[in-house]
Amino acid sequence: MSALDRKLLRDVWALRSQVLTIALLIGAGVAVLVMSVSSFLSLRGAQQAFYAESRFAEVYAEVKRAPSTMLARIAEIPGVAVAEGRVGGEARVDWPGAEVPVAARVLSLPISGEQPALNRLRLIVGRLPEPTRHDEAVIHVAFAEAWQVRPGDEIAVILNGRRQRFRIAGIAHSPEFVFTSRPGSPLPDDRGFLVLWANEEAVARAFDMQGAFGEAVLTLAPGASEPAVIAELDRLLLPWGGRGAYGRHDQPSHRFLEDELAEQRTLAVTVPLVFFGIAAFLLNVVLGRMVEAQREQVAALKALGYPSPPIAMHYAKFVAAICLLGSALGIGAGAWMGAGMLGNYRPFFRFPELPYLLPTWLPVLAAAASFAVALVGVLDALRRILRLPAAEGLRPARPAAFGGGPLGHLGRGLGARAKIPLRGLLGRPLRTLLTVLGIALAVPMVVLGLFWWDAMDSMVELQFDRIERGDAFVALTDPRPSRAAREMARLPGVLAAEGQRIVPIRLRAAQRSRLLALTGLPAGAELRVPRDANLRPVPIPHEGLALSRRLAERLGVREGDTVQVEVLEGARRVHDLPVDVLVEDIIGYTALMEIGALNRLMREDDLVSHVALRVDPLAAEALWRQLAERPRVAATNVKAVWLRVFDEVIAGLVLTSAVTLTGFGVIIAVGVVYNSARVALQERGWEMASLRVLGFTRQEVSRILLAELALAVLVAVPLGLVLAQWIVGLILGARDNESFDVPAVISTTTFAAAALVVLGAALASAVVVRRRIDRLDLVAALKARD
Amino acid sequence: MLRRTPMTTAADAAPPAGEPQATGATPVFVARGLCKSYGSGDATVHALRDLDVDIWQGEFVVLLGPSGSGKSTLLNILGGLDAPTSGRAAWRDHELTGADEAALTAYRRDHVGFVFQFYNLIPSLTARENVELVAEIARDPMRAEEALALVGLSHRLDHFPGQLSGGEQQRVAVARAIVKRPDALLCDEPTGALDVETGKLVLSAIARANREVGATTVVITHNAAIAGMADRVLRMGGGRIVAIEANARRLAPEELVW
Ligand SMILES: Nc1ncnc2c1ncn2[C@@H]1O[C@H](COP(=O)(O)OP(=O)(O)OP(=O)(O)O)[C@@H](O)[C@H]1O
Ligand SMILES: [Mg+2]
Repeated sequence: MSALDRKLLRDVWALRSQVLTIALLIGAGVAVLVMSVSSFLSLRGAQQAFYAESRFAEVYAEVKRAPSTMLARIAEIPGVAVAEGRVGGEARVDWPGAEVPVAARVLSLPISGEQPALNRLRLIVGRLPEPTRHDEAVIHVAFAEAWQVRPGDEIAVILNGRRQRFRIAGIAHSPEFVFTSRPGSPLPDDRGFLVLWANEEAVARAFDMQGAFGEAVLTLAPGASEPAVIAELDRLLLPWGGRGAYGRHDQPSHRFLEDELAEQRTLAVTVPLVFFGIAAFLLNVVLGRMVEAQREQVAALKALGYPSPPIAMHYAKFVAAICLLGSALGIGAGAWMGAGMLGNYRPFFRFPELPYLLPTWLPVLAAAASFAVALVGVLDALRRILRLPAAEGLRPARPAAFGGGPLGHLGRGLGARAKIPLRGLLGRPLRTLLTVLGIALAVPMVVLGLFWWDAMDSMVELQFDRIERGDAFVALTDPRPSRAAREMARLPGVLAAEGQRIVPIRLRAAQRSRLLALTGLPAGAELRVPRDANLRPVPIPHEGLALSRRLAERLGVREGDTVQVEVLEGARRVHDLPVDVLVEDIIGYTALMEIGALNRLMREDDLVSHVALRVDPLAAEALWRQLAERPRVAATNVKAVWLRVFDEVIAGLVLTSAVTLTGFGVIIAVGVVYNSARVALQERGWEMASLRVLGFTRQEVSRILLAELALAVLVAVPLGLVLAQWIVGLILGARDNESFDVPAVISTTTFAAAALVVLGAALASAVVVRRRIDRLDLVAALKARD
Repeated sequence: MLRRTPMTTAADAAPPAGEPQATGATPVFVARGLCKSYGSGDATVHALRDLDVDIWQGEFVVLLGPSGSGKSTLLNILGGLDAPTSGRAAWRDHELTGADEAALTAYRRDHVGFVFQFYNLIPSLTARENVELVAEIARDPMRAEEALALVGLSHRLDHFPGQLSGGEQQRVAVARAIVKRPDALLCDEPTGALDVETGKLVLSAIARANREVGATTVVITHNAAIAGMADRVLRMGGGRIVAIEANARRLAPEELVW
């Protein structure tokens, strides 16, 4: 072992607490990277595997009633690979024990009794219904798990007003329902939504669809153009009441999954990038200062005739040792938490298999990246020292950067003692800047984890307190005259009722288009209050549209622009409508009109399709039961359930990573502050020991040294708060999630908590430094430095 | 606080070899049976072995001796920086051995001025401020400018250490040591890093401080020529004082031949 290698081991040991905190710093960056990327890749992998295995359809076309013979025509459309027809519809479930009405989607299985050609089911238990049995069904795993339903159990479904009992033959996963949410609700509710597959004859009979299909699903040949196929499909099905074909992009489960994947990709890329970037920067600063504190040693080695490369190699090994330790910790923790996070996804995304994937390149990349940034930091500091003439580096009193100039006057009027920390900071502005920035960045590290709670709170507040002011939302089986709403207002427990008309539309702006629901609201509606960017209520436009700001941004539409609205119901007419005003929303995309204007557009009378209710909480349960009995009620969505689901699902998804981020943020914050303090002591220990020899007490000396840290922290914390706001904005700006928006709201509590973590770390570091000052070796200070 | 020692102690003990010159009647530093060892077993290093010494009020003492003979160890113990393994040391009525850290700090602060081989100036403070730093915590300091004038540096008040030569830095260190009007001025190889002429400047600053402030002065050096400046020269070897020489006449630094 060479002398330098022995020095290496001794240095690592002597600086062990710093080495450990730096290793943790690296570990935190690596762990976040490994965790986020691996859980993203695992989800993506599971999605691709399941889609391929189950032959997930690429295009969907709903139609009122098309004769089965049309399927052959569809299959002939150029670009179509496989086409299959099926029958389906909405239903209600008579499920004892459900506190709110359970909605169901019923779908047909082929007459053959075989698996469908597309969107095959993956049975986890049981079997498909016997082809001859019309009272057997397969149900989706989400509902089965939520209620612990097993094969052999019975379930009563009200199909088209007729009650029918099914015996459960099997429980299955489906690529169409990886993420299940009931129609009209943007959020999943496993307990309140059932997907049920039964033999085609049973379903067709229930919906009067014998010899016909209500939905065509298809896959595309390689290289086929989806828009072209959709256009042709729409043309073919228009006479049969086609409701507008759409691609996977608009398929609800796929959409939500893609959004979550996009979210994860953002989190997997931007957050670790920011996290890793900050960690790397801190590593650079901390290691750079550490090397600089060894300045005389380096100069001495050089003076002894050591060529630069072995010296550089020596420090590279030092960095490698720290990085190796840090990466090992980080990869271990990252893989463990990545697997844990994936586990958290299982209830939200129903994949038959969701194995944890950790590709080899990922930890290698993470370790290599951390080593690279650390090495750059160290070599940079080293280069500066090696460039110095050896004699300069060796001078016992380090040549101060203090010339005459303004610094000579700095702190005039203060005692000499006060000048030391002041000049320590201002005398080397660049280094001070880096240190302050380093400590400041510790604040966003903590905020980055914590702010998600604030964001969730503000999402709920905006969406469910300010915009959706009703307690329940009732979907009618078909549009009714508006007095239906007034009738509902007379039900016991209903405090107010407002009718709405909702029609599916396709909105086009230039080349971009998307499917959404256009809601007609009465002027002065109180149960649904559209709001502008300042959250002030916006009056509903008389003729034009009120459009979601988020959607408008996505479509590149501004207030005053005209968009094309294709109504996907009835005569499928196309209208050009002005966007009169943009409104805020959080979940889904809003498109609003005045209800009268909408009905005129539809050339229909005064109709409502939905009713928003304000409900007396004491009478709520009875009311839900009563609503469930009413024949014209298709579904009742209850806000309390939404809130619960929101808490469980969205918050659950988002907060999983927030908890770990907060943990790492704290580790990093503490690491940075502690290292700053320790390096300061390392650099100034000699000076401080000299002062002690001159008769300064421990307390006086500590004050001088800690004043520098305190000043740095005092500047850094407010700066950090500003940086936190900016970084959060940056990350949210990089999100690409159509399902819900996360507002960049950071509460005072979060700011305070982050500031406290940093201040607490500073305080703890100060205590450690103070204890080290108490143990300073005075005699050593009289000998040469270090 | 330091333990008060009965004044009789020094007189009771066998007086060490060498009589004081006319400078003072009572010893201010008294050391008896000082031992200092490092390590244990075979590896034990004995820095001081059963050393006795008396140093008198206002005296200028030079400590000579080969490297490793224990000079710095002795000086550090007298300066309240280090504790002997056994034996005792006292300054006037302050017992230095066994005193706690706070008492030793107060002792250094109130009574001792140090000059180090490597100056140990604070690089971010000017010459004046380095001196003021100590003046701020002293009981009855002179003005920083006055102390710097004593070492002949009135023209370098606002220079930072990095802008001063080694000799100038060391004179600042001397000024810093004497600004508090110390009772004892302890210098460990103050000229060790300096050339002859610069060394002389520093030594004359120390001599002047000894004269004008009346500080009992102990200077460690490897340079036998400097011995001519002293009232007494203590020669050390192997952790003991092996010889004491008294000079009939103290030479001025300019008169020294190196
Ligand atoms: N911290 C220590 N650990 C172990 N041994 C030490 C320590 N300090 C001093 N010594 C040993 O004590 C002995 C006396 O040291 P001291 O520093 O007093 O010598 P010195 O006379 O001042 O020498 P020099 O003229 O070289 O400065 C030496 O042999 C030295 O190796
Ligand atoms: Mg010595």
